[in-house]
Amino acid sequence: MQNTTEKENVMRIPIRMLGIVTTFFWIFLIAFFASAVYSVKDMQLNFGEPQTSVASDNKILFSLPVTIANNGYYNIGAFNLTTKISDENGFVVAHNSTFVPVIEKGMKVTISHNMTIDVNRLLQSDQEYLFNDTELEINQIVSMKLAEVIPVQASANLSMPWSAPLHNFALGEIRYEPYNETHEKAAVPISFENNAFFDLTGGIQIRMYNVSDQLIGEGLSTVEAPQSSPYESRVELCVPITENTGNGHVEIYFQTSFFDWGPLVIPYG
Amino acid sequence: MVEASKSGKTHLREITHKVLRATIKCVIFYATYFVISTLLTPVSGMFPGFQQTVEVFVMVYISLIVAGELVSGTIFQHFFNAAKALFVILYLISSLKGGIVSMSFQNVNLILDLRLFLIVATLLGLLGLAKSMLQAINFLNEKAEPSLI
Repeated sequence: MQNTTEKENVMRIPIRMLGIVTTFFWIFLIAFFASAVYSVKDMQLNFGEPQTSVASDNKILFSLPVTIANNGYYNIGAFNLTTKISDENGFVVAHNSTFVPVIEKGMKVTISHNMTIDVNRLLQSDQEYLFNDTELEINQIVSMKLAEVIPVQASANLSMPWSAPLHNFALGEIRYEPYNETHEKAAVPISFENNAFFDLTGGIQIRMYNVSDQLIGEGLSTVEAPQSSPYESRVELCVPITENTGNGHVEIYFQTSFFDWGPLVIPYG
Repeated sequence: MVEASKSGKTHLREITHKVLRATIKCVIFYATYFVISTLLTPVSGMFPGFQQTVEVFVMVYISLIVAGELVSGTIFQHFFNAAKALFVILYLISSLKGGIVSMSFQNVNLILDLRLFLIVATLLGLLGLAKSMLQAINFLNEKAEPSLI
């Protein structure tokens, strides 16, 4: 009889221990999970006003200040902010990530999420970005590990207006004035609106061809067009009277601090 | 007649005892759910259907607790315990969609990776299942013992 009781205890004790351990781990798991998720409401993520400047390599530098205040119960691990800017054809204009290994509880961290836009690269995709206002797509991904254990990722697609630096670019009527016995001075009026968010400084080179595609003159003019403003100027060229047929085409080259592009071919006459 | 009356009283006492235990367990379980649910109220609004999923889980689990307690002292109690453990595992796997929960509101897509939580919960569920099976074996063992003596 005593032997039977001993056998019963042999089974009951491990079962009871198993029950206690399981219950303990369930309580721990649920409490940890609930408090980790609850901590999310005490986390604040603020995006500041984006700053635009020119990087040393003449690229446009976007700087977005981001403030993360972790007032939750646990540290936040592997905070990562990724931004990808692409055009409507999927061409990636800019891509960058900012990583913070750990944001300790009770801490407030401010990071600067930087991105550079290479306008030259953008123009390789489509030269229309110079002349037409359009929209760029922004894909923003924020990922982190709640309590350094539970991975969470939030992503959003936004659109950003792209304002063309040479919007409505046009040539006016070319005017000729006598220069000397063999040459005349051609003044080519140019006009455009710099809708971009950066000042446009650099030069415009014009090559003038007659109807026989023969180069008859070239001229250079400097450009200083402040952002969001119209610009009008003229480029003067010296052309031989005998070779000037009064019609043909001009090739226009742009050399600015942000991009070098050309030729833009426009017929005249 | 007196013996029958005594037996009836004992039976009534047993049933009352079982109902009381079931009630206490259910109250404790529901109180735990209530506290956690209150805690998660600010967050649960972000997840559509979360509240409903948890409520269904709580209802079924409480039903299994009640059923298990009412048949305690029989082999069916262990069946219900095993059913509870299996229900927890399967319900977690199905409601958490394999551990990757994704949702979108307005323009934002949110992905929550709960695979680690799911693995731990599944392992604990399996431990509970193992415990129920051991209890069932022990129960049958205890029932078989007197006939051997």
